[in-house]
Amino acid sequence: MPWAAALSACALLQALSSAADADLARRLRARDPRVMAALYDRYGKLAYSLIFRIVRDGAAAEDLVQETFLRVWNRAHSFDAGRGALGPWILAVARNRAIDHIRSRDGRMAAAAVDLDRMENHPLFARLEDSALSLDRSRRLKAAFAKLPPRHREVIELAYFEGLSQTEMAERMNQPLGTVKTWVRTALKALREELAEAIVA
Amino acid sequence: MSCEELKDMLELYSLGLAEEQERAEIEAHLARGCDACRNNLNEALSINALMLASVAGAKPPARLKRRVMASFGLERPGWGWLGAFAAACLAALCVWLSIQERQRTAELVQARRDLFQMTAGQERLQRALSFLHQPGTQEVNFGENQTRPPRGSVFVNPRLGVLLIAGNLPALPAGKTYEMWVIPKGAAPRPAGLFQAAADGSAVHVLSGPLDSASLGAVAVSVEPQSGSPAPTTTPIIVAMLGE
Repeated sequence: MPWAAALSACALLQALSSAADADLARRLRARDPRVMAALYDRYGKLAYSLIFRIVRDGAAAEDLVQETFLRVWNRAHSFDAGRGALGPWILAVARNRAIDHIRSRDGRMAAAAVDLDRMENHPLFARLEDSALSLDRSRRLKAAFAKLPPRHREVIELAYFEGLSQTEMAERMNQPLGTVKTWVRTALKALREELAEAIVA
Repeated sequence: MSCEELKDMLELYSLGLAEEQERAEIEAHLARGCDACRNNLNEALSINALMLASVAGAKPPARLKRRVMASFGLERPGWGWLGAFAAACLAALCVWLSIQERQRTAELVQARRDLFQMTAGQERLQRALSFLHQPGTQEVNFGENQTRPPRGSVFVNPRLGVLLIAGNLPALPAGKTYEMWVIPKGAAPRPAGLFQAAADGSAVHVLSGPLDSASLGAVAVSVEPQSGSPAPTTTPIIVAMLGE
């Protein structure tokens, strides 16, 4: 259904554009709880989709979405008003909540869990620009991802949606660590290059 | 570690997936703050965001927003259609109670008015009855020879005044009232008070105070404007001749 695709593309564009985020960020820092309704309207569906993709359990996904927004609220102080995209940050928070969940569910509480926490510091996202998250780039990334060889796609998905380190991937896939590292490096390089072309074009 | 080598690690680093030793190296390098690495980090974050957003499409249940908002104290949880129904019921109950309240108030006002009228009526009746006991009261009936009502009696007592008891008085149009007159022999009628008939056409009217009953020729009633008249403006509908 092309209209459905167009609709979801519009939603994505809206969610990823940080232009309107400046006001939300300012209200977040001002500790105005009503901003959470606006934030949920903007990112709730995206956060839920991402979390559901990772945990594949509706009830758990709902818990984790709630956790995500509470965390966003509680960490708002690290926010630099007017700078940085809220969307990428909220996506990172949502992903990390979901990865934490499956890690503890599957009994693989790695030392990496500490890393997730560190990677949620908003200042990391402070210099991200609007143009980095355009609809065009989103399309290009999807297309580039679809073109990857199956093994490359697999390692990328294991990283983003399973939270596996390269060592863990090697174990899971029963492959030498060097091979896995090559797949990961090659795959990411392909994605980067596709996006770099978009900037040139 | 060169900037170019670092570039290949930034996505996994940002996802929290760098190995312990790599991470220390990456952070040491980033701390130098070179522009190339800053740009590369932004690009990695951008790729991560685009990858994570690429799964969009699942639809969260509507209750999830209520639940999330509830955790910020913005909305109460579990407030679905049942709650909306309960709220509607409550609103309807409030409206019903306020209507009831208004009706009761109206009833109370009416009851007070009725009580006041009854009290006033009883007082008037007692005054009228006192006429009957008193010595020197003269009674004149009227309307007996007329085919049409009203009929009734006039009692005159030199000490107490004049009592009129009438029945079958016609209903008056709006803005009109009955006015009683006392008419001394060979003189003009003097106003003796305004009164209204009850719904059944009966009326009791008293002119209190001593009067020279000997010189009184007649008692009459005419229909007058609401504010009354100094002299009759219509033909009297009751005329009771005294001393005949």
